[in-house]
Amino acid sequence: MGFLRRASKTLKLSKYLPLLQANSKFSPISSLSRRNPLYSEFSYGHFGLSHAFCSHSRKNSKDSDIDLSQYPTERIRNFSIIAHVDHGKSTLADRLLELTGTIKRGHGQPQYLDKLQVERERGITVKAQTATMFYKHNFHGADNNGDHEEPSFLLNLIDTPGHVDFSYEVSRSLAACQGALLVVDAAQGVQAQTVANFYLAFESNLTIIPVINKIDQPTADPDRVKAQLKSMFDLDASDALLTSAKTGQGLEQVLPAVIERIPPPPGKSNSPLRMLLLDSYYDEYKGVICHVAVVDGMLGKGDKVLSAATGQAYEILDVGVMHPELTPTGVLHTGQVGYVVTGMRSTKEARIGDTLYHNRTIVEPLPGFKPAKHMVFSGLYPADGCDFEELNHAIERLTCNDASVSVIKESSTALGMGFRCGFLGLLHMDVFHQRLEQEHGAHVISTIPTVPYIFEYSDGSKVEVQNPATLPSNPKQRVAACWEPTVLATIIIPSEYVGAVITLCSERRGQQLEYSFIDSQRAFMKYQLPLREIVVDFYNELKSLTSGYASFDYEDAEYQQSDMVKLDILLNGQPVDAMATIVHNLKAQRVGRALVEKLKKHIDSRQMFEITIQAAIGSKVIARETISAMRKNVLAKCYGGDISRKKKLLEKQKEGKKRMKRVGSVDIPQEAFHELLKSS
Amino acid sequence: MLKSSFTPIFSTFPAKPLSPKPLPNAIFSCFTHTAPTVCQNASPNTPTTILPPPTSAYIHLPFCRKRCHYCDFTIVALGSSSNQTEDDPRMINYVQLLCREINAMKAENKANPPLETVFFGGGTPSLVPPKLVSSILDTLRLKFGLSSDSEISMEMDPGTFDAKKMKDMMELGVNRVSLGVQAFQEELLKACGRAHGLREVYEAIEIVGSCGVENWSMDLISSLPHQTPEMWEESLRLTVEACPTHVSVYDLQVEQGTKFGLLYIPGEFPLPSETRSSEFYRMASRTLSDAGYNHYEISSYCKSGYHCKHNLTYWKNKPFYAFGLGSASYVDGVRFSRPKRMKEYMGYVENLENGLVDSCESNRSAQDMATDVLMLSLRTSRGLDLKSFGEEYGSSLVLALCKAYKPYVESGHVVFLDEQRRAMAADELNALLVNEDKIERSPAYIRLSDPDGFLLSNELISLAFAVVAP
Repeated sequence: MGFLRRASKTLKLSKYLPLLQANSKFSPISSLSRRNPLYSEFSYGHFGLSHAFCSHSRKNSKDSDIDLSQYPTERIRNFSIIAHVDHGKSTLADRLLELTGTIKRGHGQPQYLDKLQVERERGITVKAQTATMFYKHNFHGADNNGDHEEPSFLLNLIDTPGHVDFSYEVSRSLAACQGALLVVDAAQGVQAQTVANFYLAFESNLTIIPVINKIDQPTADPDRVKAQLKSMFDLDASDALLTSAKTGQGLEQVLPAVIERIPPPPGKSNSPLRMLLLDSYYDEYKGVICHVAVVDGMLGKGDKVLSAATGQAYEILDVGVMHPELTPTGVLHTGQVGYVVTGMRSTKEARIGDTLYHNRTIVEPLPGFKPAKHMVFSGLYPADGCDFEELNHAIERLTCNDASVSVIKESSTALGMGFRCGFLGLLHMDVFHQRLEQEHGAHVISTIPTVPYIFEYSDGSKVEVQNPATLPSNPKQRVAACWEPTVLATIIIPSEYVGAVITLCSERRGQQLEYSFIDSQRAFMKYQLPLREIVVDFYNELKSLTSGYASFDYEDAEYQQSDMVKLDILLNGQPVDAMATIVHNLKAQRVGRALVEKLKKHIDSRQMFEITIQAAIGSKVIARETISAMRKNVLAKCYGGDISRKKKLLEKQKEGKKRMKRVGSVDIPQEAFHELLKSS
Repeated sequence: MLKSSFTPIFSTFPAKPLSPKPLPNAIFSCFTHTAPTVCQNASPNTPTTILPPPTSAYIHLPFCRKRCHYCDFTIVALGSSSNQTEDDPRMINYVQLLCREINAMKAENKANPPLETVFFGGGTPSLVPPKLVSSILDTLRLKFGLSSDSEISMEMDPGTFDAKKMKDMMELGVNRVSLGVQAFQEELLKACGRAHGLREVYEAIEIVGSCGVENWSMDLISSLPHQTPEMWEESLRLTVEACPTHVSVYDLQVEQGTKFGLLYIPGEFPLPSETRSSEFYRMASRTLSDAGYNHYEISSYCKSGYHCKHNLTYWKNKPFYAFGLGSASYVDGVRFSRPKRMKEYMGYVENLENGLVDSCESNRSAQDMATDVLMLSLRTSRGLDLKSFGEEYGSSLVLALCKAYKPYVESGHVVFLDEQRRAMAADELNALLVNEDKIERSPAYIRLSDPDGFLLSNELISLAFAVVAP
């Protein structure tokens, strides 16, 4: 340690930095935790070390010992970590938090920033989080007061979702960063989400620091990954850091690299306040808490701010940094990242990407704000029919924390009262379902996800269809045209699976746009695919075709004109609205056949009447199955007056009936709906 | 269960909150004076009525030579070697115990009406020596009294009695025989594991006839393994030829834990398919109706006036005593099953004698009692009496039932009958269900049709359950 400090005091020029990094490899990491930022910041302030706005901020920050005034923009670095799933993003984040003493090693749960159960289970991030860290590092760019202490840097790690469903959220989070650690698994190499995330970061003009992680693995091949980085992204391979977040190897290079390579935030401290809203969540006690980045100017507790998106005025009730939990500082300066509590009643008011600014000032809103765009829709119904209110309550509470879901009440003859929900994408929908069940104990049936189609009729009128059941089966006007949303898919696979994947994509009506090799073993393909074709089971299919080796990612692309038709499923002539679907004309026959067969399989054949199951386009039946009526269900003997057993059996049968959903004259077991909707 | 003493049967009378009013017939035993709070909670117009004590008694005589392959009843297999059952100590001890149970039964009120029906079920009651049967009847006579014209039924199996034994039984008062023939095919009897063959069947029919048993029932089982429609037709024909006053046709239930349960899966070979099995039921209904039998309950047919009175107490939801191993009674509004193991039953009788058995509050909800009424009355051709059901459980429930059953009237599974027991058409019901007002003819009964409704009775009754207890 002493060696490192001596070295850092003497070597101030950037050209010596590689040397510093080399040296610091030998220093034990654990000793870094001694640099308790709270402690050291306190001493800064206490001795009144020469800093212009020191006294001012001391006054404002009586809530905690953190004096943010010590950190002008040149001693702030805002960065995020981007990676494909499981390449070690969360573990790396944990290590950085430990390294800076923000959390204690071994304390706090692993994947510290992934607070939701669903995030931990799936190893994904769905909500942005920020963490403020303090790190001492001797670097020429910082103003060093002539003191013998190494200067302390304020590092804000902005943890962003990785999946493209949240690409808008990601882009807003990245807008608050000046750099990103691009983490790539040393064995797996560049994957689809690596590509997508790289381009997001690249488009945001971020400085990218490649980190080749998991180098402790026996199959690690950093050289191959370096070559991929070079060929795919034109990144200088010699810049790449080699780490193992697991063993700690190479970690000491990370923060110095962040400080030295990533530029400080460019905001102007003497301009009026402009603050970017990154994300929000609902806290039972404090209400809505917004993660924010102060781009220009300064924010203090008690300030009055306005939302550029809604025009709403708010008072700043509390402001601080996430260190790692809510730590009030009373103030946030230019370039700093933290949280505010404003008395917003719902997270719906907190629009991601919104600009907050001071009352009675005029500012240009920060660029890039967009309202949420819903690409996947699905009906959510209470699984037990009667507990609609419970589901309503659960959805209300969850949307408090996930304002990006659109919710409209709808009712289905088959499933009763429920909701039509719009999601940013598939993962978002999945996560929403999982959170409903895990965090709110709701049991739901969700209808087959559908995408928003646009139908144009011969009279020129257009409708957007979010629920296939609402599209008239026999419209008065002829359908003149139909458009469906598409995506640009990135698929990276070991080269031996190319044939199978091309077949799959063409079955799914995909159009190949690009086909190349990342290296000798990996192929890279870009497809334009109808969103409809990937919403249900594309990814699973792709994974199973490629023994799990495929990586897949997509971004929204434009609508394309397609020959889509509405396919109705009829039970004894009555349409089952929950099973209506919109399919491509050429696939209607096959889909209809499969649905009818599946429905036959899942309907309990023991029904009192014969049931016909049909698939129809308009009035044209394209598939048909029949279930013959139940012949007999009688218990002949009621022996010796002992009715208890028979009664139990009848009670059980009654309970079974309760779980039935009635469509016309046909009872469909609840389980059948589950099965049908789950897997079709 | 086995804690405090019996509640004196009429002790709570003065405390009864509501004045008695006449009880409708079909459900007249649903409410008991021992559970007034339940009644109050149960329905707004709860009647609390003097509940007549039972006038029926079921006596369980569990002994069999061996267990039949389909049987999961509470029986004691004696072993086929012991043909000499006269002095079997197991029977003697059991009958003693049973009589102790009868005697220990607390019947405070000496004004109890005498028994109208006694049913010896089993097991194979005909294995029991007449002198033991006699001691049971004596005990019953002493305890409750036995009406001079009471129906005393006994289940008798071919091969377990001769003319002498039959006559002895008749002398004791047995005046109705339920003959367990089951099938008229040697191979089927064998496949069922019956302890008798076809010869014994004919002998038994002969004995019953020659001894002059006027009222007897032929018991048959349909849907046996390897049973063909021809065999079933033959069984039905021979049954009609034997001229019993009553026929019981039981559809085979494959129960878990029986030999059949191990060997067979319902609906799969060698058991008849569901379609064929339902055809057997239809054949029985058609053949026996044509022969002048009245299909008065799902599995019971009788010549006019020869209903099994004892079984009618079950279908009418009337109270009945029960004595013996594993038997189920319905007294004071409480349905209670005795222990099925001999040792536990013995302990039960001892506790009963020592006053340690609590008659236990029934605590049954109105829903629970209403579903009893539904499942029992809908098994019969008389059906559910809507008037009395409405009085007990509310007319809104009757309306809801009518609504739920209307589609099945159209499909022919359910029949609505007016006061004169004339069937009503579905469109007549529409008026009732739409206006909910008075219409010219109101339905007075709901019954399941024969055979379509009976065949799907579990479906239809559980549907009614869902209306009553959603």
